[in-house]
Amino acid sequence: MGRVLLTWRLAIRDIQRRRARSALLLAMIVTTTTTLTIGLALHKVTDSPFARTRAATRGPDIVAEVGAPAAASPGAPQDLAREFAPLIHARGVAAVGGPYPITFARLTTRHLNVLAETEGRDVAPAAIDRPALTAGHWISPDGAVIERGFADALGLHVGDAIDLNGRSFRVAGIAVSTAQCFYPVSTPGVIWLTRPDAESLGATAQPTNYVLYLKLDEASDAGAFEDGDAAAAFNNGTGNDVQSTLTSWQETEDSDFKVVSVDQKVLLIVSTLLALLAIASIAVVVGSRMAEQTRRVGLLKAVGATPAMVAVVLLAENLLLALAATALGVALGQLVAPVLTNLGNGLLGTPPTPPLTLTSAAEVLVVAIAVAAGATIVPAIRGAHASTIRALNDPAHPPRRRPALIALSTRLPVPLLLAVRLVARRIRRSLLTVASMTIAVAMVVAALTLQHNDEVRKQVSLVGTTTVAGRVTHLVFLLTAVLIVLAAINAIFTTWATVIDAQRPTALARALGATPRQITAGLATSQLMPGLLAACLGIPLGLALYQAAGGHVHQASPPILTLLAVIPGTLIVVAALTAIPARIGARRPLAEVLRSD
Amino acid sequence: MTSDQPVLSASGLSKEYGKGAALVRAVDDVRLHVAQGESVAIVGPSGCGKSTLLYLLGGLERPTSGTLQLAGERLDQMPESRLARLRRHALGFVFQSYHLVEELTALENVELPALLAGSSPRKARERATGLLEDVGLGDRAQHLPSALSGGQRQRVAVARALANAPLAVLADEPTGNLDSAATADVLRLFEQLHARGQTLVVVTHDERIAATADRVISMRDGRFVDETKLTGGTARSLTEMAGLEG
Amino acid sequence: MPDPAPLPQDEPLHGYELRVVREVLLALLARDSSHGYQLRARLALALGPLARVLNDGQVYVTLGRLEKAGLVSSRRVGQTDRPDRRVYELTPAGHHQVTEWLDDTGWRKSAPAEFHLKLVAAAAAGLADPIGIVDRQRHELLIALSQAQRAALAEPDGSVAALLLEGVVLRLQADLRWLEACARYWNSAKER
Repeated sequence: MGRVLLTWRLAIRDIQRRRARSALLLAMIVTTTTTLTIGLALHKVTDSPFARTRAATRGPDIVAEVGAPAAASPGAPQDLAREFAPLIHARGVAAVGGPYPITFARLTTRHLNVLAETEGRDVAPAAIDRPALTAGHWISPDGAVIERGFADALGLHVGDAIDLNGRSFRVAGIAVSTAQCFYPVSTPGVIWLTRPDAESLGATAQPTNYVLYLKLDEASDAGAFEDGDAAAAFNNGTGNDVQSTLTSWQETEDSDFKVVSVDQKVLLIVSTLLALLAIASIAVVVGSRMAEQTRRVGLLKAVGATPAMVAVVLLAENLLLALAATALGVALGQLVAPVLTNLGNGLLGTPPTPPLTLTSAAEVLVVAIAVAAGATIVPAIRGAHASTIRALNDPAHPPRRRPALIALSTRLPVPLLLAVRLVARRIRRSLLTVASMTIAVAMVVAALTLQHNDEVRKQVSLVGTTTVAGRVTHLVFLLTAVLIVLAAINAIFTTWATVIDAQRPTALARALGATPRQITAGLATSQLMPGLLAACLGIPLGLALYQAAGGHVHQASPPILTLLAVIPGTLIVVAALTAIPARIGARRPLAEVLRSD
Repeated sequence: MTSDQPVLSASGLSKEYGKGAALVRAVDDVRLHVAQGESVAIVGPSGCGKSTLLYLLGGLERPTSGTLQLAGERLDQMPESRLARLRRHALGFVFQSYHLVEELTALENVELPALLAGSSPRKARERATGLLEDVGLGDRAQHLPSALSGGQRQRVAVARALANAPLAVLADEPTGNLDSAATADVLRLFEQLHARGQTLVVVTHDERIAATADRVISMRDGRFVDETKLTGGTARSLTEMAGLEG
Repeated sequence: MPDPAPLPQDEPLHGYELRVVREVLLALLARDSSHGYQLRARLALALGPLARVLNDGQVYVTLGRLEKAGLVSSRRVGQTDRPDRRVYELTPAGHHQVTEWLDDTGWRKSAPAEFHLKLVAAAAAGLADPIGIVDRQRHELLIALSQAQRAALAEPDGSVAALLLEGVVLRLQADLRWLEACARYWNSAKER
């Protein structure tokens, strides 16, 4: 019991003593735990909103649509509707709704100009697909009902005046339905009108498409129905010019939540990256303080602690931070998750925030501990087995000698000579820096690839903010920004650690005649070299990440020049970040450093 | 520079730390001229400011007031980068804790100033090899500092200080960390340097090192209080000192 | 170095004789006269634990000799004629002796006791600044050290004479260290 108390006390005191460093470590782990929590929360989003809405609106099991191409020869409206025949009389069909006319019309107000899909309906409530009103009333002559997600996106309310294809209407009400995927998953958004109104909007006074709703005896048979004879007859029976589509309710549901699954995949990938980045960063932070830790180890062993206990004491501090980070990350994640699980008001009721299950919290805790432990386990074990006297007298782990690099550096100009020797002193730290910068660059490249995705560009320019792909883009940009911030902090810290670690040799170099500018250049270059390597490695890694997240690199293919521009871009950013610590390090008063020992 | 112009010349040199009630004058109105080939030792109790004075003379710290000239150029106002360039060829430093780079061999340590001054790798190496021979460590050229004794490390440091043939060598407590045997080695070296006409300013509390100089200046509380010329002066019989005469 | 005042040879010397006791007693009388027991007390104070070597009566015997040598004079005070109760004072010859002693920078094996007492006496007598005495002595020793060291370094390797010279050097170094301590003490004494 006493040992536990002692470990606790040592860990707490050390955290208190080095607040800035502990806060830094905490921040690094928190980013990981938060993203992970959100990812896990999305994983648990249930499909209840969809089921609830489907039940409330008597949603159809099968939706069939036929539509003639735009410049079609005007057949009689009834002709098109006849295509539905095989379906109406198919086996297993319990009820039929429609066919209803569909016209694409331009919705305009003083501020808006968007494409909309109008559906002509009966004023009386239908048997199948009865859109549930969340505001106002059902359709009336000149009274339009707008799909809720669409209305929210456009900022329209009951009573607003709109024009459809030039004709004025009033917004009579706002409703939700599961007949189609909700806006913005499916665009354009749906507006319900009376049949005469809908028909009057057609350019040739004829609606473009017809839609039919089917209710089956068994809702779960919808998939089988799609593969069945009736469906085949429907699909084949339509003429060459006529497009026909058949959608089951499960497919609609899946599409509605596709956005979530993409989000989730992206989040899981990014939280893995963040975890790796956090490990690399923490390893640098811990490594830079190894001399202190080693002395502590020596002290503990000298007063009788076993190697196991020593390792525990070393780990304890970081494990405490991991615990705190888990608590913070889970709390933050629970706050932020609803923003992502909220699917834009397309369905009845916002989905309840997935409750925090013990398993999710435990999973996050395990990851946090793994991150903290992963970064400190090697020094902890090494420290626990080190010789006690050496630890007390000579705690700083001396830099390893790399004769090849030293010999190489003699041929280089002074700043490069210094840079190469600085890197050679602490190869492991340089490699960790490369790793963390590579991760950041990879994320940037993946984001750039996404940016260049043609679909994204098209959709973004069409309606603005909230398309599926748009959500993903925003998510990716947000997470890229987080990663970049983390990598930037890491770069600054590494430079600072290098400055401190190298303060005697750099002071010596200055005493021997190196100018401050040469020293600054040397310190900065010692970070630029890892940066260059990171940029080269990060580009292919980023493209691979994009592919892993479900994108197609061939489709997106950002221009080669843009990709290559990442290299100088990275170098400029690294130079900017490291310039200040490097400059400070190069101008410290010489006498202080040289005098003491 | 003509041979009668002093190599180092300080006048009214002062260095203050802190402010108001906590003001400390580490160096207080010091006047010093070191001629070419002269060897000056500055002695005094610890905390008297002698190390600070040395760092001022070497341009490693900026004086609060006063003027300082090295080879005729004014140091006290010089920008940092020019100072660094001047130090390359004009000064060599020997520190109490050697300040050798731990991961470089003795040879690589000695050639460092030449490399920093832009010399070609081959020339730097040749000169470094010669210097190590001069100090008697030619056979230890490939050793790391951790494999050398304290005295050997300091001799490497002296060789390094001579790498660019400096006008003056400034040494801060060169035997501070050494036992008596190592001190003897370094002592011999300083005598050699002195005999060769190297201008030397040594700060020390070791009377033996001070005794190798031409002049010994005593410092107390930042000021020069006393000076002894070791060349000339009354010759006290060695036999009497040895106790052979009563 | 002037010879000390010739001692009457008829009286054998007892116990541990400090030559310096003569000079110190003279110096202690330089400012004003003093009772015998006062002189003994001040001497004991200056020597601390080493005062044990002073025989009882050692001081008074020396005072008697000094009187015989004409360097001090004494008179009886009160009823008793005990030496510790007599009052002693310096003669002009005694003053001269003191001055010469204070100026002498010879360095004998009997240092540090002699030098220490010289400083104490100088301070007590107000005749000379102890710090000046220390500085002058330091100069001499430093020059001597320098010569001895150069001689030692000039000896070929393995020379046995170098060992002797090394011994001289090390002792001189030790003496110089002690002189440094003297300077520190007497400096702060001045400030007090």
